[in-house]
Amino acid sequence: MSAVLKATPPPLRQASLDAARCALSARGVSRRFRIAGTDLVALAGVDLDVAAGEFVTILGASGCGKSTLLRLFAGLDRADTGTLLHAGVPIAGPSLQRGLVFQEPRLFPWLTVTQNVATALLNAPGGPEAKRLAVAEHIALVGLAGFEDAWPHQLSGGMAQRAAIARGLVNGPDVLLMDEPFGALDALTRARLQRELRRIWERERTTMLLVTHDVDEALLLGTRLVVMTPRPGRIARILDLPRSITRDHADPAFARLRAEVLAMLDDGISTEGPLQP
Amino acid sequence: MSVSITLPRAAAGPRAWRLPAWPAALLLPLLGLLAWAAAARAGWLTPAILPAPAEVWATLTELWQSGELQSHALWSMGRVVQGFAIGAVLGLALGAAMALSPRVEDYLRPSFVAIAQVPVIGWVPLLMLPLGIGEALKIVIIAKAALVPVTLNTLAGIRAVPRGWVEVGTAFRYSRWQVLRHVVLPAAVPPVFTGIRYGLTSCWKALVAVELLASAEGLGFLLVWGRQMFQMDMVIAGMVVIAAVGLVFDASLALLERRLQPWRAA
Repeated sequence: MSAVLKATPPPLRQASLDAARCALSARGVSRRFRIAGTDLVALAGVDLDVAAGEFVTILGASGCGKSTLLRLFAGLDRADTGTLLHAGVPIAGPSLQRGLVFQEPRLFPWLTVTQNVATALLNAPGGPEAKRLAVAEHIALVGLAGFEDAWPHQLSGGMAQRAAIARGLVNGPDVLLMDEPFGALDALTRARLQRELRRIWERERTTMLLVTHDVDEALLLGTRLVVMTPRPGRIARILDLPRSITRDHADPAFARLRAEVLAMLDDGISTEGPLQP
Repeated sequence: MSVSITLPRAAAGPRAWRLPAWPAALLLPLLGLLAWAAAARAGWLTPAILPAPAEVWATLTELWQSGELQSHALWSMGRVVQGFAIGAVLGLALGAAMALSPRVEDYLRPSFVAIAQVPVIGWVPLLMLPLGIGEALKIVIIAKAALVPVTLNTLAGIRAVPRGWVEVGTAFRYSRWQVLRHVVLPAAVPPVFTGIRYGLTSCWKALVAVELLASAEGLGFLLVWGRQMFQMDMVIAGMVVIAAVGLVFDASLALLERRLQPWRAA
């Protein structure tokens, strides 16, 4: 195992963390779906803690339950067993304190960029002037200044996803949950948005939880990496990704780390079982 | 070994030559007019059956100058506006209620679909008994003509709102009413408008049919009158006006649709 790769033994150390200090926490979370007469175990006993200010990336092949976990944290779905907490409080439904970015931008085509970002503020506290300022600020934050009045059909895929990120952040949430937000973008746009997301996180220090199936994206963005394996969906490994890691493919240590993570994903798929830490 | 790559030129190639929209739209009617004039001139049919375009034009101007045409057209348009307004409002309410409540749909949809199967004209003999052959009958028939397409398109339009958009509202803690007001209804505007346009067209068609059956005024009556007098020029003049008014109705709604939906790509 590489020197930079520090495996965190979950859930021992995790469980000792004070729940209130954790932005998000999952304990023994299971979720199954009945699809065409057969039970699909999307999540089987998942434990995860995300501390405030962290950037956690969840990496896994399709069907590993990573999106299900994110939707549970978002409050868009209910767990069959286990508990999900946000700042120590059970998650019972969506909250404006947990922003959400989907794989598709999901902008409303009948609203301009400004109006789309403002949809997130409909039930938020604060006066219209404060909201107007917040919308303008967040549009500038994602680099869309000058496109405030554009219609969604006039935006490129990358620009639309920027607007969606602004909409997810405009409430100033504790946590931003992202479900493969760059999955549908071309490689160049994706790389640019990844850098910008990292910059936004460094500036705002919003806790980030990002789901992806892209190893490079997971390693590039996260301060901690959660590797999940499918059938049943569970966490195989949690790795710290200290800032000291050079995130460069030419760096041998990084290349090794990447290879190891890929091997973990491969194992999870071929043995159909979790990798014990 | 060198490899030469030839880029396909299709994208930069010349576009097929095309008429702009307006002249293109007029091309077919013009050809029809020419064929009609040629047929009349060659005497393929007797003038009593197929009068020349000039004769129809003369009849049209005559009817216009006497004010008869305007009066008939106004009668017809008045009926359509009333019947369409009733049918469209009911259709919007019914379609929305069925789309939003599975229970309402369970109760109403089968009967509604069954009723929709009977063509507008099929209702006339039955409705004549309670309603007589006066204005009430015509308004009800026209309203029914609008009701069916407006209801079905509203139902389908609301049903087709992507779940993902509704979820965006849910994620921002929208209430049921807020989801309806800010997501579902705006998203359903394009398909609902299609239903409204289609509804108006079927109203206009139903109107002429009803006026053919029982009326002493209106454009449909003009056709009946012309046929009874064996004045084919009047029949054709009536048909031309019916088509023109219908076209204007549809174009007005299309204009309104564009005004209401500035977000749609031009």
